[in-house]
Amino acid sequence: MSILSEIFSWWGGNTWGTRFTIWKIASQVGEDEFGNRYYLQRSGVGPLGKPRRFVVYKDLADASKVPAEWHGWLHYTVDDLPDENYKPRAWQKPHKMNMTGTGKAYRPKGSILRPQKRERATGDYKAWKPE
Amino acid sequence: MSKKLIIDDTEIEVEDGITLLQACEQAGAEIPRFCYHERLSIAGNCRMCLVEVKGAPKPIASCAQTVNELRPNPDGSPNVILTKSALVKKAREGVMEFLLINHPLDCPICDQGGECDLQDQAMAYGVGGSRYVENKRAVEEKYLGPLIRTFMTRCIHCTRCVRFMTEVAGVDELGLIGRGEDAEITTYLEHGMLSELSANVNDLCPVGALTHRPWSNTARPWELRKTETIDVMDAVGSNIRVDSRGPEVMRILPRNNDSVNEEWISDKTRHVWDGLKTQRLDQPYVRRGGKLRPATWEEALGVVTQKLAQTEASRIGVIAGDLCGAEEMFALKSLMDRMGVANVDCRAAHEAFDPSLPRSSYLFNTTIEGIDDADAILLVGTNPRLEAPILNARIRKRYLKGGCEIALVGAQVPLTYRYEHLGTGPAALSELADGKHAFAEILSKAKAPMVIVGAGAYRRFDGEAVMALAARIARAAGKDKAADWRVFNVLHTAAARVAGLDLGFVPGKGGLDTAGMLEFAKHDGLEVLYLLGADEFDMPPPDDVFVIYQGSHGDAGAHRADVILPGSAYTEKSATYANTEGRVQLGLKAVFAPGEAKEDWAILRALSAQLGHTLPFDNLTELRAAMYKQAPQLQRIDDVTPATEDPCSALIAREGKVSDTPFAEVISDFYLTNPIARASRVMAQLSALKAAAATDARVTPFGTDEASVQYQMSPEA
Amino acid sequence: MLADKDRIFTNLYGFHDAGLAGARERGGWDGTKAFIDKGHDWIIDQVKDSGLRGRGGAGFPTGLKWSFMPKSDPRPSYLVINADESEPGSCKDREITRHDPHLLIEGALLASFAMRAHKCFIYFRGEYIRERERFQAAVDEAYEARLIGKNNIHGWDFDLVVHHGAGAYICGEETAMLESLEGKKGQPRLKPPFPAGCGLYGAPTTVNNVESIAVVPEILRRGATWFSSLGKPNNTGTKLFQISGHVERPCVVEEEMGIPLRELLEKHAGGVRGGWKNLKAVIPGGSSVPLVPADLCEDLTMDFDALMKVKSGLGTAAVIVMDQSTDVIKAISRISYFYKHESCGQCTPCREGTGWMWRVMERLVKGEAQKREIDLLLDVTKQVEGHTICALGDAAAWPIQGLIRHFRHEIEARIDANQAAMSEAAE
Repeated sequence: MSILSEIFSWWGGNTWGTRFTIWKIASQVGEDEFGNRYYLQRSGVGPLGKPRRFVVYKDLADASKVPAEWHGWLHYTVDDLPDENYKPRAWQKPHKMNMTGTGKAYRPKGSILRPQKRERATGDYKAWKPE
Repeated sequence: MSKKLIIDDTEIEVEDGITLLQACEQAGAEIPRFCYHERLSIAGNCRMCLVEVKGAPKPIASCAQTVNELRPNPDGSPNVILTKSALVKKAREGVMEFLLINHPLDCPICDQGGECDLQDQAMAYGVGGSRYVENKRAVEEKYLGPLIRTFMTRCIHCTRCVRFMTEVAGVDELGLIGRGEDAEITTYLEHGMLSELSANVNDLCPVGALTHRPWSNTARPWELRKTETIDVMDAVGSNIRVDSRGPEVMRILPRNNDSVNEEWISDKTRHVWDGLKTQRLDQPYVRRGGKLRPATWEEALGVVTQKLAQTEASRIGVIAGDLCGAEEMFALKSLMDRMGVANVDCRAAHEAFDPSLPRSSYLFNTTIEGIDDADAILLVGTNPRLEAPILNARIRKRYLKGGCEIALVGAQVPLTYRYEHLGTGPAALSELADGKHAFAEILSKAKAPMVIVGAGAYRRFDGEAVMALAARIARAAGKDKAADWRVFNVLHTAAARVAGLDLGFVPGKGGLDTAGMLEFAKHDGLEVLYLLGADEFDMPPPDDVFVIYQGSHGDAGAHRADVILPGSAYTEKSATYANTEGRVQLGLKAVFAPGEAKEDWAILRALSAQLGHTLPFDNLTELRAAMYKQAPQLQRIDDVTPATEDPCSALIAREGKVSDTPFAEVISDFYLTNPIARASRVMAQLSALKAAAATDARVTPFGTDEASVQYQMSPEA
Repeated sequence: MLADKDRIFTNLYGFHDAGLAGARERGGWDGTKAFIDKGHDWIIDQVKDSGLRGRGGAGFPTGLKWSFMPKSDPRPSYLVINADESEPGSCKDREITRHDPHLLIEGALLASFAMRAHKCFIYFRGEYIRERERFQAAVDEAYEARLIGKNNIHGWDFDLVVHHGAGAYICGEETAMLESLEGKKGQPRLKPPFPAGCGLYGAPTTVNNVESIAVVPEILRRGATWFSSLGKPNNTGTKLFQISGHVERPCVVEEEMGIPLRELLEKHAGGVRGGWKNLKAVIPGGSSVPLVPADLCEDLTMDFDALMKVKSGLGTAAVIVMDQSTDVIKAISRISYFYKHESCGQCTPCREGTGWMWRVMERLVKGEAQKREIDLLLDVTKQVEGHTICALGDAAAWPIQGLIRHFRHEIEARIDANQAAMSEAAE
C-alpha cells in the first residue's frame, strides 16, 4: 500500500492518522511473520488499567490476520511477548486469515459455489443384478 | 335420550354417554389435547383439554367427563360450557407452559418437526416467551427395537404409546416407571418391542419422543408428495399414504378407514418401504448361453413372442402372484383367452377356491367392521396375528369389550386374546360339525357367530373337504340368525387373490391349476411358464421349462427366469385390489417405476400386439371399462358388494374325505412373506431379531411367555 | 377442655393393654350386636346426626358419604380404611392402630354393616411396619373370638384385610389407594366416577380415614347427641391433635373441636418454646395447608370453619409450631421438595409444576432471585392449583401461597440482603 493511498483513503489499510497516533504515544515491541507490527504505549494506561497495545497491519487491515501467539498478547490474555522460545503446538496449523467474503472463502461440500459436481442428495434405488 | 348443552353460546343436543370433548367438537369448538385419542382408553393426564363449566369450581378435563356426569343446574337449564373464556385460556397457557419447561425445544433437529402436536398447539394455545430459568430435565434414551427411535427428553408423558401397546397391540411391553419428574416410558428391561403393530406408537406420539428409526432424519413432512393408496402386504388392504420425494418413496403412513384398518397398519406394511428401493428389476434380461444378459425391450419381447407363438397352447402355463393388481391379471387373462391357453391360475398350490361357486364362498362375508358385532368366533387353521395383524387387532378390540367367545382349531399360537384351543386338525372340526363339541352349542346360541377359515385349512390337498366341514359348522351356527348376518368367512393372505378369483383367473376348460402345471412341467409336458409376479413356490420349475418372469423384484422367480420383463411395484402403478372382504380399493401411483420398468398392463398390451392378439384397450380407462364389464363388482370402489347368496350349501356339496394331518402354519416368518419384504433390510433385521428372541429366554417374540400361556386355554388344562 | 369421661381414645398413649381383653375392659365391643340389630340405616342416621366430619383432611360429612353407597346392587360393596398416614406432621393413625386397634376393628365392622359391605380393606402406610404387626395381631384376636369373620357372633359376615403399602404418599389419595390395592401403580383415577359408584374392582366403595371409623362405635354407644354436644356447631366431636415443632412437649392429644389454638398448645404441649410471644407461625393441619402467622393465631380456634376463614384448613389437625428462630422460607422449601418427590407424575401441572416450584423456592431460600420471581412463583402455584387430577397439586401449591401471603416481606428482605452482599463482593 503506497504512502499516497494511505493518506487519501481510510479503507483497506491503516490510515495516516493511525500511524501518527501510534508513533506519538507508543513504541514498537515486535513484528510477526507476516510483517504486522506491534506497539506498546510508552507511558500511562488505557481503560483496562494497563498500557495500551496496538497492531499496525501490513497492507490490508483485518483483525483475523493476527496469528495466535500475538493474539494472546494483543488481547491482554498474556503479558509476555512471544519471543524466540515460542513454539507452536503440534496440532497448530499455519495461521491464515479469515477468508470469508473473498473469492477464497471456504465452500462446504455440496455448495453450489463449489466447482465440483454435486452428489445425489438421496439414494435412488439398487438394481437387481443376475449373478 | 339426548342431552342439551350450551357450548360457547351455541345450544346443541348431543347423544348420551359421549364425552364433553366430543360434545364440544360437535358444537364446532376446537379442544386441544395430547393424551386423548378416540381409539384408546381415556387417561386424562395431559390436562390440555380443560374447559369451564358454569357452576363448577374448577376447570374440567373435557376428555374424561361424559355429558351425563355434569352436575345438573338447580333450575334445570342446560349446562353452559365455555371453551374460549379467560379462565380456559389461562389454564391452557399454564398447562402448555408446564409441558414446555422440560421439553428440549429442539424442533429444528426433531423428526416430528412440522407434524408435531406440541408445536402446533404451542403456537395456538401457548404464550410467546419462557419464564423458566432452571435447568431442564434430561432423560436417557431407551432402546425399543429397530423401528422406534427414542428421544425421551421430549416425552410429555401422555401415555398414548403405553395404552396402545396394552390395549390394541395386546402386549404389556411398555410402561411408565418412576414418578413425578422422574417418570419415564420404557420397556422395563430395555429389550426391543416385537409386536407386529409396534411402529404405530410413533404415529400416536404427539411429540418427537418416539420417531421412526428406519427413516429418521431423511425427510421433512412439508417436502413430501403424499399419495393415498392401498397396501398389498396382506389381504386386509390397509389404507396407506405413501410419502415420496422425487423418484423415491420416503415413508409409508396409515390412513384412516374405520371399516378396514381404523388407523393402524402393521410394521410390515409400514417398513417394507426400503424394500421398494433394493433388488429392483430395472431393465429386461434375456438368458443367453446360460446367463441372464441385459436386453432391450424389443429384444426381450421378441424372444417372448417367438417362444409363445411357437409353443402349443396346452403346453403354456400362466401363474399370477400374490401382489398383482386386478388390471394386469385381467390383461393377462384376456391375452391367454385369445391365445387359447387354459392353464392359468392365480391361486397358490392346492387352494380350494372355485369362482364358479357363489362369490361369498371365498370372501370374508362378515366384513372386518362386522367383527365388532360378533359374539362367538371360531378360527379354523389360521393365525390372524401373522396373517392379518390389523384384523387380529379388531378381534382383540371385540374381545376386550367382553362377551365374545373365541376358539381355535389349528396350531396353538400365541394370540392377543384368550381363546379355547379345540384341536389341531380336521378331526376337531368334524366333531364340531357333528355338534359333538361344547363350542358348537356356543356357536348356535350366539347371536352373531363367525367362522373364519384361514390358509392353514383351505390350502391343503383336502382343502375342499375341510372347507365343506367349516361350511357345515357355519350353516348350523347360522340357523335362526339375523337375515343379513353371514357366518362363513375366508381369511386370505394375498392381496391379489380375491380380484383374481373375481376375474376368473383360474384354469379354463381342461386347464391345469398351479399344482397341476408344476407337476406337468416335471414330466416334460409344460414348455413355457409365464409368471406374473409369482415367487412363492415350494419347488422351482425344472430347467427345461422356459420361464418368463414379469415383476418388480429380483426374487425366486427372477433367478429362475429365462426372460425378465421389469414391471412395477404397488407404489408405482394405479391398480385395483379387492381385499379379503371383497372390498374393492383403488391404489394410486406414487412414484415412477425405476429404470426401464413399465406398468404391468402396458407390458402385456405391448406383448399382445407383437403376438398378433392385440388387446382392445390403449389406456387404463379403456382397460377398466372392459374389466368392469366382466366383473362388475370391481367398479364399486371402496365398497363391499354384499353377499346375497349363502355359500354353505354349495361348499358342503363338495364334501369329501379329510386327512388327519394337522392344519399347518402357513406363515413361518411374518416379516418375509413376499418379494418386496424379502428385499427390505428392515424386514430382514426384524426377522433376525425375532429368531434371536425365540431362542433367548428373557426376550420372547410377540409378548411375554406368561402372556402366551395365559392366552391359551386348552380344554384339558 | 375435654373432660376425661368424654374421651374416645382411652388408651392413646399405650399405658394399658391394647389387646382384646384390655379393649373390653375399656368398653370396646360392648353392645355391638345390638347396633347391628337396629339395621343399616339406623347406624347411618346416627352418624349423620352426630355431625361427624371426615378426619382425613377434607372434612366431608361421614354419614352423608356412607349414604351415597347403593342400597341394592348386584356388585359387592367394599369399605377401605385409609391408614396410609404420610402427611408430614400427622401421627394420629399410628397411635390408634397400635394402642386402640379394637376401636378401629369394631368401627370397621359397624361401618361395613351400615354400607352393606362384607369386606373391608385397611391400607397401611409402608413405613408403619410395627403398627401393622400390632394391628394384625388385634385382627387375629378378633377373628379368634369370632367377633369378625364368617358366621361371627354379630350375624354379619365380615372380613378385614390388612394391606401393607410400599411407602408412596400418593397412595393416601383415595383413588390411588384403590389402584394400589388392585395391584396397579398407585396413580389417582379420574373422578367422576366416584368410588361410591365405581371403586375397588369396579364395585361401590367408600374410603374413610382411620379416625373417622374408630370413633363410630363410641358415637353409637353414647349417642349422636353426646357427640354433637361436643365442639362447635358443624364442627362437632373430639379430634386427635398432633402437636409438633417448637413446643415444650410435642404430643398427640384428644381434644374437643374448636379448642383455641393457644389453649391447646399451652395446656397440652407446654406452650411455645420461649413463650407465646416467640411464636412465628403455625401450620395447623399438616404440611399441605397454608401456614398461619402468629398475629392471626391469637384467637384462632381449631376447627374446619375457623381455619377456613384464615385461608388455611384443619387438615389432619397436625399442628406444626414454628418459633421466631425458624427460617420459614426454608421450611416451606422443604415441604415443597416433599411434594416434588411424591408427585406421581401422571398429570402435567403437578409433574412439571412441583419441580419448578421447588427450584424457585430453593433460590428464594438463599435470596438468589429477582423480586419479580415471587409473583412468578405465585402464578405457577395458581396454575397448578385446581388443574390436576387429584389434590396433590393443590397441596403442593397452598403452602407456598401461604408463605407469599404472609411472609412476602421476609422473602424480599432476603433478596435485598443477597443483592447487597453480591454488590459488596463485586466492589
